Amino acid sequence: MIEAQHLTKLYGPTRAVDDLSFKVVPGRVTGFLGPNGAGKSTTMRVIMGLDAATTGQVTINGTPYIRHTHPMREVGALLDARAFHTGRTAFNHLLCLAQSNRIPHARVDEVLALVGLESVAKRRAGGFSMGMGQRLGIAAALLGDPGVLLFDEPVNGLDPEGILWVRNLLKSLAAEGRTVFVSSHLMSEMALTADHLIVIGKGRLIADATVTDFVSQSTGAHVRVRALQPDDLARVLVAEGAKVERVDDGALRVTGLDCRHVGALAARHGLELHELVLHQPTLEAAYMEATQDATEYRAAAPAS
Amino acid sequence: MTTTLTEPDATTLGPRPRFADTLLCEWTKLRTVRSTWWTLFAVLAVTIGFGAIVSAAIVGRWDRMSLAQRLAVDPTARSLTGFMLSQLFIGVLGVLVITSEYSAGMIRSTLAAMPHRRQVLAAKAMSLTPPVFLVGTLSALLAFLSGQAILAGKGIGVSLGAPQEWRAVLGAGLVLTLEALIALGLGAMIRQTAGAIASYVGVLLVAQLLLSALPDPYGRDISEYFPFNAGRALMKIHTTPDLLPPWSGLAVLCAWAVVSLGVAGWLITRRDA
Repeated sequence: MIEAQHLTKLYGPTRAVDDLSFKVVPGRVTGFLGPNGAGKSTTMRVIMGLDAATTGQVTINGTPYIRHTHPMREVGALLDARAFHTGRTAFNHLLCLAQSNRIPHARVDEVLALVGLESVAKRRAGGFSMGMGQRLGIAAALLGDPGVLLFDEPVNGLDPEGILWVRNLLKSLAAEGRTVFVSSHLMSEMALTADHLIVIGKGRLIADATVTDFVSQSTGAHVRVRALQPDDLARVLVAEGAKVERVDDGALRVTGLDCRHVGALAARHGLELHELVLHQPTLEAAYMEATQDATEYRAAAPAS
Repeated sequence: MTTTLTEPDATTLGPRPRFADTLLCEWTKLRTVRSTWWTLFAVLAVTIGFGAIVSAAIVGRWDRMSLAQRLAVDPTARSLTGFMLSQLFIGVLGVLVITSEYSAGMIRSTLAAMPHRRQVLAAKAMSLTPPVFLVGTLSALLAFLSGQAILAGKGIGVSLGAPQEWRAVLGAGLVLTLEALIALGLGAMIRQTAGAIASYVGVLLVAQLLLSALPDPYGRDISEYFPFNAGRALMKIHTTPDLLPPWSGLAVLCAWAVVSLGVAGWLITRRDA
């Protein structure tokens, strides 16, 4: 488990991380979302003890990272793609890391096979493609078989097969009871992979919820219903406290009630329904809405 | 892989990593990179090569040299001429051992795997020492022997019998090692290859040049305490008034290395990775 308490990191006058408190629990994939410059990478670096927090603290399994006796066996992280010496072979890169934490040599071959790099183990890492470099980084994170895993943009540069592989890997790691903390910009992937979300913007916490809750509390969620007597239905629904809008094609756009509720109300009042659909916004739409005020670097909309 | 994990406890995590593991990791890093071996080879080649060239040149010119010029020839020092260049190469190696990690971004993996940062620096220093000392001493020895063999053609070669000659040869190994450590410290402080190499060259050579511009005796007195002259003092066969006594030279060089690594160690724990 990763637990942050009032974490703040200042770089001079800039508040990169601002009073951030959250818990990342084992057994599920927790997505870490936020616009560029929100402080995701900074937060991950502080968790890993690479940067010192200005105030507040973050612990992994109850202990700050730097006080862990077996760092790599407890926590594995992929923070930078291609963070390795180009002149060294993949095998030697993993070997020296394994040696640093008394991890047996055999484990190096194991993780290389796991990520699919066993055929290029003796090749200099400088010649690796972006995807191969990413896999090497994942291999390094898995060396100690840790219970806590942090990934910063793990699917960067991977082809669709690689992306699918990472998705399945993250889910299986979480299913094994590990704590999996993933930051990504790929909303479609996050929607498929993550169970829980921590969303930050401008260094501050915006949301800490399950994916379902996060998506449904966005304004895009609504029920679309088509009835024989739309006005009667609208009256009934408004009386229940829902917000009802007429849509061009004669259907009603209902916000505030779910399908079951709408269906039950219609039945109770003897109203005939022809269409009753729940429209969930995409994670992307929910995310955009939640972070629109917190986006630091926004490109100008293209001139139409 | 493994079955479901519960809360990890010390007994299930296996043996606890110690400094020896950090040292092994750093040694593996050093030996698995080609630049290490190329640099050490260059040290060998340049020291022996230049020594041989200079010795051959002296032999070739000997008959036309005046008595004063002949007396000024120090056979040992001449055969070790190439050593000057080796000091630059070894500085590059010392710097790269740490700055290559920063430029590649590997430093984060390193400090995540081994959070005790001063131990990492110490391990880098300790893994550098044996190969640099060995190659330094070996290259000086071979340069000396080959140079003297050439000079023997005019009967001016010396043998390795006297302790001063051994001091010159072993001194070369010591000087090179300490300079590598000074460079390592500079690299850890500056964290950037070009800047650190420039600082090393500055400390080694440029400071020397600038100090020589100061009026006597200031320039000479201060420059005695800089690495280049301190190293020369250790290796000099006949002590001269413009240099420190040999063992003082060694002490001064050690002090430089201790300060360089000490400041680097202090900084590395304080700064963000």
